[in-house]
Amino acid sequence: MLQPVKQQNFDVFQVVADPSRRQILRLLSKDSLTINSLAEHFDMSRPAVSKHIKILHGAGFISIQDIGRERHCILKQEGFEKLQEWINYFDNFWLSKLGKLKSLLDNKLKN
Amino acid sequence: MADNIKHKFFFPQRPEQVWEYLTRADLMELWLMPNDFLPIPGHDFQFRIKPMPQLDFDGIVYCKVLEIAPHHTLSYSWKSGPGNGKIELDSIVVWKLIPKDNGTELLLEHNAFRGFDNLSMFSALNGGWFKNIQKIAELINAATRETTKL
Repeated sequence: MLQPVKQQNFDVFQVVADPSRRQILRLLSKDSLTINSLAEHFDMSRPAVSKHIKILHGAGFISIQDIGRERHCILKQEGFEKLQEWINYFDNFWLSKLGKLKSLLDNKLKN
Repeated sequence: MADNIKHKFFFPQRPEQVWEYLTRADLMELWLMPNDFLPIPGHDFQFRIKPMPQLDFDGIVYCKVLEIAPHHTLSYSWKSGPGNGKIELDSIVVWKLIPKDNGTELLLEHNAFRGFDNLSMFSALNGGWFKNIQKIAELINAATRETTKL
């Protein structure tokens, strides 16, 4: 069911754009959970939950460990790192642009 | 871990003067980027920046004016992707101008993750990983003990 999926098939932003997937990540941020116990939190069918888990897995947001008879979902840093990379890039982008605006306006004030 | 893009800048100019630089395409270009912005709600425009292939970004930012309250608030959508018009990032830029006695406070918020509850989740995750890794280690150990017993 959870075959390895090529990571480039999923864009991190698309992955977190879905409310159910964000809810799964939120639940997993509190505790690692089995696929069955995750599915209990949702009204949708278990295959539908599995599909979301598969997408999160493919994008590097979670890893899945078979322990005994259960499949446990655990948060994984990889997916979040890409989001963080994006945030850092645009954080610096705006900071440098605003600095430019500041010097523009400062010069205008002097003249 | 930063959970959102937020910047606060103070300018000794009045809000109307700062506003001009946020809403006139020719003035925006001086500090931001070439663009075809018009201060009209619903207006579609583009910014051009340097492509960043490692971030799946072809350098074109597709925007739409969402809200305009002159000298006070400006917001636009900010969408980008790897090329061919494919959109992967769907975010929103919000500017707020607050008049002060001796100038203007300018607030910028760039929300990359709509509906992400201000990404408060990011901080929860930071603590969460360690806890979960510990938990999974315990589970694995327990499972191993179980198997050894059998």
